[in-house]
Amino acid sequence: MHNSLNVNALINGRLLSMRTFKITIVCFAGFLVGCQQSDQSIETPKETVTKVADGATSQTDLPKNFSIGHQATSDVIAGWDIDVRPDGLGLPEGSGSVEDGESIYEDKCAMCHGSFGEGEDQWPKLTGGAGSLTEARPEKSIGSFWPYASTLWDYINRAMPFPAPQSLEPDEVYAITAYVLNMNEIVDDDFVLTRENFASIEMPNKDGFYIDDRPDTKNTRCMKNCKDGSKINIVLGPVYSLGKKADTVAEEKTDENDLAKTTYESVCQVCHASGVANAPKMGVAEDWTARLERGKDSIYSNALNGLNGMPAKGGRADLSDDTVKAAVDFMLSKL
Amino acid sequence: MDGFSQKEEQRLLKTLATESENLGLVERRSFLKNALVMVGAGATITPAGAALASSNLPPSVPSWSRQLGEGVLTNPYGLPSEYEKDTIRRTVDWLTPDRISSISMTPLHKLKGIITPNGLAFERYHGGLPNINPDEHRLIIHGLVERPLIFTMEELKRFPSVSEIKFLECPANGGMEWKAPQMEGLQFTHGMLSCCEWTGVRLSTLLDAVGVKPEGKWILAEGADGSGMTRSIPMEKALDDAIVVYAQNGEALRREQGYPIRLMNPGWEGNTCIKWLRRLEIGDKPWYQREETSKYTDLMPDGRARKFSFVQECNSVITSPSPEVPFKGKGWYEIEGIAWSGKGKIKGVDISLDGGVTWRPAPLKGMIISKCLTRFSYMYQWQGEPLLLQSRAWDETGYVQPTFKQLRAERGGNSIYHKNAIHTWKVHSNGSVQNAQLS
Repeated sequence: MHNSLNVNALINGRLLSMRTFKITIVCFAGFLVGCQQSDQSIETPKETVTKVADGATSQTDLPKNFSIGHQATSDVIAGWDIDVRPDGLGLPEGSGSVEDGESIYEDKCAMCHGSFGEGEDQWPKLTGGAGSLTEARPEKSIGSFWPYASTLWDYINRAMPFPAPQSLEPDEVYAITAYVLNMNEIVDDDFVLTRENFASIEMPNKDGFYIDDRPDTKNTRCMKNCKDGSKINIVLGPVYSLGKKADTVAEEKTDENDLAKTTYESVCQVCHASGVANAPKMGVAEDWTARLERGKDSIYSNALNGLNGMPAKGGRADLSDDTVKAAVDFMLSKL
Repeated sequence: MDGFSQKEEQRLLKTLATESENLGLVERRSFLKNALVMVGAGATITPAGAALASSNLPPSVPSWSRQLGEGVLTNPYGLPSEYEKDTIRRTVDWLTPDRISSISMTPLHKLKGIITPNGLAFERYHGGLPNINPDEHRLIIHGLVERPLIFTMEELKRFPSVSEIKFLECPANGGMEWKAPQMEGLQFTHGMLSCCEWTGVRLSTLLDAVGVKPEGKWILAEGADGSGMTRSIPMEKALDDAIVVYAQNGEALRREQGYPIRLMNPGWEGNTCIKWLRRLEIGDKPWYQREETSKYTDLMPDGRARKFSFVQECNSVITSPSPEVPFKGKGWYEIEGIAWSGKGKIKGVDISLDGGVTWRPAPLKGMIISKCLTRFSYMYQWQGEPLLLQSRAWDETGYVQPTFKQLRAERGGNSIYHKNAIHTWKVHSNGSVQNAQLS
């Protein structure tokens, strides 16, 4: 049995008598084709084969509908059917004023998008850029670029606020939408957005799109003397047009604090890197002084339960308490 | 190594290597690491490592030939060799404000053949990576249909399945390069690209199950992630070759790729291939969602934008040499690369060594599959001369990959998406390779 599989061990997990061993060898040889063991000491369950029903076995004449799946009732669909179209199809009952929208926006949106929709750091700008679409650096804001107001309602409802998607009530979505339209000077200060007046809203860039008309280039397979080689001007990269060097090497995951660091990067960094919504900034000691004076447990507690702009566990209820605490420790270790 | 003569250093290293050979692999590594730290070799770890490794080279019998290795199930799910640690996805941190709505790139310079290993396929999330329990996930198909249906994941696997190798590319692949050669390496200029064998049920089969009404012309595909990602897909594509996918390269779809199910629209923008798919609604018009208006539309010089620009047109790039894979000395090399087209099969690839003055066909190799990565290869004896390396692919529709000049003439520099220009690598006389653009 040197250097090969031990058949006895493979079959029974123990050494067998020579007689059984011979049977086992035969059995092993027939392993894949179905072994019939004659040894009375091993019971073979008897199977009865029911006759296979005729029909539906022709592989060239399969039914169009296999009748797999269950009816999706309107109740079930309603819970997930959240999309809204430009003609207003899909909008729920409700309304919201510019005035109400302003206070909700300040509370839930301004942290990233800025009080005037100017965008904090690299977070999206919501306003400005009118007439800039033909310029060298176009600004594609809601006012300057988006063709339909329905897109705004739909997107806020499904994906905003970024750390807490699908958390807003319909009236809140109407109000925020109204306010963002107002910021873009599309509706007046006293405007109240409703399902009924929704379709009347016209976005400035509604005619700014056309169906893909590619292919637009017509290169040919020139093989020789395709250009004057002496006149080739070479621009060598990288040219950092954003003034920053690419962080091209992923950090090696050798940090003992690996989970904590990953948690920070994937959950906490959104706010704590830039300090939006008054979040204490990563690595800025003075942001943390007062908090540390209240004790580490107080910081843990705020991280776990939420406080002001800080959602409980940074909006990730699935994280364990220990993971959240480890992320807090990681941040404190960088002060 | 400070304080040692070179001869003494070599002797010491050899002694260490000999002493360590009685140890198992793991212990040996640890022993050597500590020993090197003790003799202060931290700063010269490379020459030290090379000297130690030589004891495994012929005529010596290597240590791993004189001991037993690890048993089965040491790694119940196998992982790459520890010597492949730099074969990883990477990101460019300044592209996005955080990593939740962001992208990482495939290390194309490390890959061979046409299949992207599951752990290396580029990631793109709009609301982070969800962790979905398949038992608690459903696909609902409703709208303009005769029979709105809801499916469990097990039920989807009862339908006849198909397995197809198709590339998947983010339409923003190379988008940073519109104005200048901004990225340092191949992974960043072309790495929003992968190619896998996808297994699942044809969307048309599912549409037969629900019975689409005659006025149903568009389908809204929606994900279950925190961004509720959505795209409007024309019915023609759904009936042509779209697949609701549950497996990737033979195993269950990876979380990063939409576990437990995603949509696959072969040859189209990766963004349309909705991951974590939960809902398909059939309607008579498109929905104009955020990701098909504000984003994933192509701004043209006249200030208008192309919409529903679904197809990823013919493209190619040389993967070796590349900035990450330079020439190391004169001699024969295989100039190798990949070509792909969202419109069908690659018909051919030409390469140029002189920046596009002269072109010669590069043989295709391996399988040539529609809407799939295709390999090309050109053996070349390099004598240390500087090169301007380019590849130019063409597909079965006759479309020839354009130059940057042609692309910019049509689209300006602000369309972000669908950059498929002929790419240039400048090979320097020392063998190093640099990203370049020609005018």
